[in-house]
Amino acid sequence: MALNGYKEVEHTADIALQVWARDFPSLLKQAAEGLYALMDAVLETAQSKTHQNFTIPHGNHETVVVDFLTELLFFVEEKGLALSDFSFENGQNEISVQSTGRRILTWERDIKAVTFHDLNLERTATGFSITITFDV
Amino acid sequence: MSTITEKTFTKLSDYEWEIPKDFRSDMRVPVRVFASQALLQDALKDNSIEQAVNASTLPGLVEAVMVMPDMHQGYGFPIGGVAATDLETGVISPGGIGYDINCGVRLLSSRITLEEATPFLSDLATVVDQLCPSGVGVGGRKKLSNAEMVEVCLRGANWAKDDVYTAAEDLRRTEDQGCLPGADPGKVSSRAMERGKNQLGTLGSGNHFIEVDLVTEVFDEVAAGAMGLYRGELAVQIHTGSRGFGHQICTDYVRRLQSAVTKYGIKLPDKQLVCAPITSDEGQDYLAAMRCAANYAFLNRQILTNNVRQAFETVLAGKVDRWQLRQVYDIAHNIGKFERHQVNGDQKMVCVHRKGATRAFGPGTEGLPTEYQEIGQPVLVPGSMGTGSWVLTGTETSMLRCFGSCCQGGGRVLSRSQAKRSIWDETLLQQLEQDGIDVRAGSLPGLAEEAPQAYKDVNQVVESVVGAGIAKKVALIKPLIVIKG
Repeated sequence: MALNGYKEVEHTADIALQVWARDFPSLLKQAAEGLYALMDAVLETAQSKTHQNFTIPHGNHETVVVDFLTELLFFVEEKGLALSDFSFENGQNEISVQSTGRRILTWERDIKAVTFHDLNLERTATGFSITITFDV
Repeated sequence: MSTITEKTFTKLSDYEWEIPKDFRSDMRVPVRVFASQALLQDALKDNSIEQAVNASTLPGLVEAVMVMPDMHQGYGFPIGGVAATDLETGVISPGGIGYDINCGVRLLSSRITLEEATPFLSDLATVVDQLCPSGVGVGGRKKLSNAEMVEVCLRGANWAKDDVYTAAEDLRRTEDQGCLPGADPGKVSSRAMERGKNQLGTLGSGNHFIEVDLVTEVFDEVAAGAMGLYRGELAVQIHTGSRGFGHQICTDYVRRLQSAVTKYGIKLPDKQLVCAPITSDEGQDYLAAMRCAANYAFLNRQILTNNVRQAFETVLAGKVDRWQLRQVYDIAHNIGKFERHQVNGDQKMVCVHRKGATRAFGPGTEGLPTEYQEIGQPVLVPGSMGTGSWVLTGTETSMLRCFGSCCQGGGRVLSRSQAKRSIWDETLLQQLEQDGIDVRAGSLPGLAEEAPQAYKDVNQVVESVVGAGIAKKVALIKPLIVIKG
């Protein structure tokens, strides 16, 4: 198994994603990729890249995952953008996120929300793993 | 943790089963399941019953956590769950209501016969599809201002009262007359307001739909007559909710209440069950915000109703004698409401959470329109798009056994990815066309996720609620046109 990755997990009503990575920032990056894959998002060409910055409040790891992905859903719905190339900086009260935005041409599936359902970050021999359930 | 099997249940009747509260040490009340033995066995294949047991640990629960026969695994609460909490000692849980606050169904009746409509069905499908925005990322016709959003939150379906296509009886025939009191837009985040501005009057995607149906069977002529449903005539169903506005409100409060749980010393087996005492500031704020989303959803279905009426007028006026559509009823199936119910022999106000379950008030219940006082509240139970949908009524038993509640639909059996893997889009479309169903879908893979095979047999679900006595059959309707996002 690769050190970083994600895969869809069966869930009767909604959609779940298992994500693993060697460190927490990489886990967030993988979760973002997994989210856009679940949406089946088709992005515009690289020329349309823009810089997008946002912040998320400090919290435990699980809460940061939910807040981060919730922010990405907002960018999809309100700005039509998918974000990548993340870098994270810990501030006193919040985490600053710098990223690159690319316009989404189409996506097949709306994801309504990121849930806290059975959300537990596990430490593994190679890093971290988490299973995230999305409301669709 | 104890494993739940069929032996865990005490059989109360052929359609009612109970897990006693001593099954798990953290349970505060029993779990009561309304289902046939076969559907109960099906339910044990996913985690829905375990989720109901988890929900039974919430503080201040009254009587039991109820589960309907179309139950399936959700997050936190099971879908198909009903839980009532005491207003003084109980909690309100956003997870017990869901992200799509006041997702619901509206049914319209007509006097248009199939024979009259047949030459125009294709045009009707095209114009309904054109006038009712649907699909992923599709916005409404008009972007609302801040002031208009505030009005929507406070007035609900009344906001469209003066629209030429709104009929006076529409509001009367909507749960709570299309507007929950106690909404406070000041408790809604600016982000939620922003998401709501552009989505009013839109269907969305996933399991949301508009159907033009045919009444194929009538089981109770008196009740069907009161609703304006006659065999061989057309009806319309609209299934949608509060869109991104409701999703954001739920997201905001599930997040905020994570800390409330610690503050009030509430222990939970699943973080998605977060809650706050109803009397607390956090609980009151969520209730006020949730009611804004509920009102938005009532209005959303009203606007779509008016657009469907415009489509019927455009296509059928001058060609069919009576092209008008009358509202039968509009019900919510993801909501939390203060209602009066009999608890331990006394009438008491409680907070009823319904997640993927509908209200099903029996005859004579306060708040029902005069014309439904004798027959009970219409209960709308959509099947999957290739099967029929049921119109039922609530009963005295539903009032006594499950806080005036009933099932919401078929309930999923296949996950979305299983459905996509096992069902070919083109084959499905062809099958539906062969069955005489005109499908207009924004996304073919999305269509496969909602295929009939992905759902439980709605007829079995209905047999269970009728067998348990919590609903009565009125009519069966079958789809002619399906519009999906």
